Amino acid sequence: MGTLPQLIEEDIQRLDDALRELLEKSDATTALVIDKGGFLIIGQGDTRQFDLTTIAALASGAYMANQTIANLVHETNFNSVYQQGEKHSMFVVCIDDNCLLAVIFKAAVSVGVVKYFSGPTVEQIADQLRNAQDRDPGAGLDLSVLNMADTSELFKKKA
Amino acid sequence: MAIINQATKELQVKIVYYGPAMGGKTTNLVQVHDHVQTAAGNKGKLVSLATSSDRTLFFDFLPIEAMSIKGFKTKFQLYTVPGQVIYNTTRQLVLRGVDGIVFVADSQYEKMSENVESFTNLEENLKSLKLNMSDIPYVLQFNKRDLPNIAPMEYMEFLLNNRDVQVPSFSSTAHKCEGVFETLNMITRMLLHKFVSQGTPQYA
Repeated sequence: MGTLPQLIEEDIQRLDDALRELLEKSDATTALVIDKGGFLIIGQGDTRQFDLTTIAALASGAYMANQTIANLVHETNFNSVYQQGEKHSMFVVCIDDNCLLAVIFKAAVSVGVVKYFSGPTVEQIADQLRNAQDRDPGAGLDLSVLNMADTSELFKKKA
Repeated sequence: MAIINQATKELQVKIVYYGPAMGGKTTNLVQVHDHVQTAAGNKGKLVSLATSSDRTLFFDFLPIEAMSIKGFKTKFQLYTVPGQVIYNTTRQLVLRGVDGIVFVADSQYEKMSENVESFTNLEENLKSLKLNMSDIPYVLQFNKRDLPNIAPMEYMEFLLNNRDVQVPSFSSTAHKCEGVFETLNMITRMLLHKFVSQGTPQYA
């Protein structure tokens, strides 16, 4: 399984910019970059209205489940999922081997517009992730500030 | 694999509760959700994708944040898999990106073959993701110790932990929240020590 690069501030800034531009152009509500394992990497737009952590976990699960179904029916060109709603809809599209872009938009917004503007955004994000990977493919984790001294009880039970 | 975001000083880790059907995986998450001490806002909602009879269909999901780790905002995402044999494809999907595993075994004698079958299935599913048990920190939890027809701990150790490198194991009665936090604390500690000592990149 491939691994994503470590992201530095510059990467996060570029990803933020790409998502903001997508939201402006498409009039969508929220855009997320999600790891296929279910982690939320970054979110832009209206991030208070929705539980983005849970949406990330469920959207990646739904995408992966649909991809498996596509494989079972011999569909070789699967790369997106569209969930149509009465208030909000969601479009999830593959960025690369590890990541997905999820766009939440009001039902009044055309899915065609979201799909159209998502294309360049996906490329921008994929490029940035590639750049990050190329910058230092063997970079170690800098967890030096992680204080391991007091982790004997990470989670405590309520008294 | 864990997401480590140096820009935002955030660490996200995925722990999957695996094991035979009706073994207590979902109960573990429910107990953690109900009893964990957190600062306001550090505990997410428990999401269960279950059938009408409360059997896990896809997965249960609980995001929580550890309070005591300084330096990084450390978020743990706890998942369960559906235990029923027919849902193997779903289990493979949930295992994607896993960092640590809690194997929840059912201590009742008649469930021993299901425990072994599920453990073997876990090994096979990890292989399909190009992983193996020696790469992934895991712990064993022998659940339902309050029932009358249970196998001795030593017997379960022999069945499930009889390897070159033995892993920590815990007895538990998940519905009474006994052994639940001990198990969770051990797997999280093992994971953090692995990240710190390994020093090789996972991602983001």
